[in-house]
Amino acid sequence: MRAGVIAAAVGLCVACERPIGQGPTGRLAGVRVVDLIPVSLSGETWQDAEPFLALYASNPKLMAASAFTPNPGGSASATAPIFVSDDGGDSWTLRNTLPSQSMTADITHAVGGNPPVLYAGIMKVPGFPLNELKASDFFSPATMTLQAFRADIDQPFVRTTQVGSADRVYVGLNDFDAPDGRTATVDISLDGGATYASRRIETRGTAGQNGPSIRPAVAPDHTVYVAYFGWRSNAGADVTSDVVVVRDDSGATGATPFRDLVDPSDSLPGRLVATHVTIPWSNAPTLGQERIGSTLAIAVDPLHSDNVYLAWADRVGTGDIYTVHVRRSTDRGATWSGDLRTLTNATDASLAVATNGTTGLLYQQVTGSAPTSRWVTRLEQSRDGFATHQDVILATVPATTPSFQFLPYIGDYNCLLTRGSQFLGIFSANNTPDSANFPQGVVYQRRVDFATHRLLDGSGAPVAVSIDPFFFSLPVLP
Amino acid sequence: MYTRSAILLALALALPGAGGVAQMSRTALVKQSDIIFIGTVTQLGAVAVPEVPASARTVVVRVDQVLEKPAAVALATGDSVTVQTLRPGSLKPGTQATFYTTGWVFGRGVAVREVGHEPGRSPVVAAAQQEAVSRARLEVNDADLKAHIQRAAMVVAGRVEQVRPAELTPPAPARPKRITEHDPDWQDAIIQVEDGIKGAQVGEKVVVRFPGSSDVAWVGIPKFAVGQEGTFLLHKDSTTGSPHAMVAGQSVQAYTALHKVDVLSKQDATRVRALIRKP
Repeated sequence: MRAGVIAAAVGLCVACERPIGQGPTGRLAGVRVVDLIPVSLSGETWQDAEPFLALYASNPKLMAASAFTPNPGGSASATAPIFVSDDGGDSWTLRNTLPSQSMTADITHAVGGNPPVLYAGIMKVPGFPLNELKASDFFSPATMTLQAFRADIDQPFVRTTQVGSADRVYVGLNDFDAPDGRTATVDISLDGGATYASRRIETRGTAGQNGPSIRPAVAPDHTVYVAYFGWRSNAGADVTSDVVVVRDDSGATGATPFRDLVDPSDSLPGRLVATHVTIPWSNAPTLGQERIGSTLAIAVDPLHSDNVYLAWADRVGTGDIYTVHVRRSTDRGATWSGDLRTLTNATDASLAVATNGTTGLLYQQVTGSAPTSRWVTRLEQSRDGFATHQDVILATVPATTPSFQFLPYIGDYNCLLTRGSQFLGIFSANNTPDSANFPQGVVYQRRVDFATHRLLDGSGAPVAVSIDPFFFSLPVLP
Repeated sequence: MYTRSAILLALALALPGAGGVAQMSRTALVKQSDIIFIGTVTQLGAVAVPEVPASARTVVVRVDQVLEKPAAVALATGDSVTVQTLRPGSLKPGTQATFYTTGWVFGRGVAVREVGHEPGRSPVVAAAQQEAVSRARLEVNDADLKAHIQRAAMVVAGRVEQVRPAELTPPAPARPKRITEHDPDWQDAIIQVEDGIKGAQVGEKVVVRFPGSSDVAWVGIPKFAVGQEGTFLLHKDSTTGSPHAMVAGQSVQAYTALHKVDVLSKQDATRVRALIRKP
């Protein structure tokens, strides 16, 4: 191809593990950061926000990714795209296989067992109904198969596991048709998506509904945790909420699942990890052009399901806009630590626990003040519950450019996963090809000129800066 | 124009390798396509990029001239494109044709799905083909706009005098309002009609309901601002569940304009009138 693929050098030196508060120096060996936009879409200027990633356990070369990326064919296109990689994330292609007009209004996905099946939960355009989809072969040109659908939901969040020869699919979602305002719901399929059952997980009174983010985490021993916001009162701009974790010890296979973790204060299912926190609900540019109000993540240790990590964001009230908190339980959610990490003006927290117990925390934080403020994307790793951690800056980019096209600006969530000795994830950021913005190096597939910090289209003409999705991987701390 | 297209189509069908045209007119081909180019088949059962599996239906085509493509797509003369043909054996190496396609896979190169093809004749005709495709695109756009006009309950040229939050009155039993980042945040734009093109009178005030939300679910949906002038294709509100609004103390029909074609420039009023008159 004519395109000039410019690769930054892979890091040469190893960053040391550092205590909280110290910044990273140099590059970490083995880190990859890759812009997903392929060279054949070098003229692309869309706001490719809210990225997500799925890994194929049976084949480390295969990955699927998504973002609010439209079908290049335009707004009338009958399908929306996903990104796929067959070389472990070094290169990506865009394929129009989602049954949604040009783009989705929400999408997450995960891969089942063997043979690997990609499951996706989307809010379809137009109308925004939930579509629960599957693809046995994501390289196939065929549109993903619709397995279930219904209206009036928000933020479908897909997780999977395999039991025997059957895939189990867990789709956390906010179901506005749930009775009594207890909208926190998990759609559960025990048969590879052939059938789904909607299970309500809120047992307390709400302010008419729960928050939009309902996040499952599944351990190989069939322990399933789900984190959600128990909205208790709503004052308009601020919601008073509990941060709740439920647990099911048998894969949520029963008729009334998620009753295995009870709070001592009221003996109801769902441990109250934090109570009466203030969630600033702002559906407008508020933090570095991003909206805020639904940051929530949970991850379970794959080999020791007693260990579970939780991250959420609220407003502390000390002059912060939005603050991420990270906590841990080592007794299956019965008791929780205080804040292991408290990150001011941050969002898009995502957690993963490697098989050796090392915990990864991905987040995006606004530093400085406009007009020179920056979105800084960091991956922290810790082997000791964040008493100490390694801090790697994956990207530090202007927060005031480009101007937002819509919300979310970079995403209501991003994604961090782990496989073997690697953390792998995806985030969205300003795509200016400037090595200073990517301290660990970066590889662009699309045409760029690092010398002039310009994006180029197929003919070599300059292209406006926009938001792109970036895949990354880095070694797990041993 | 239609007759001429039919003649061209008949000629095309008579030529070898014209199978891809099938029964579709050029206008129909253009309507279904987003990447159109003149190219020469170089390989059968092959692919130009590794991301696409070769099959009996895939051919490699060298691009001779790009006629239409989305701005984001990098595609130029001399590039090799993988084409998934409508059926195996419909093309031969060396065949030059105009390919009407949709994007399939975008990676190190472009792979497209064939909607149809017309055989080329010589490089001289390439310019004519460019003109023909452009003309067909105009016909498609005009037909699309005419269909929108016909579906519209009202077409007006006017000026937005006021924008205010919509006061929706859902039918009983009232469903609790849900808080979601995808909330449309319905707004009412009050438009003073300056030219009642269809179903409205000059001086009338019309309420147009639109999503004020910046959420991704509503991206691309027309928004209105005070002072905005234009030609507006308005549809009775069947979206919000509250199809009436109050103007000067009176309940009136509320309208929507949710498609990008529904909001045109003020100067487009002339084009709209012409399309209304066109049989």
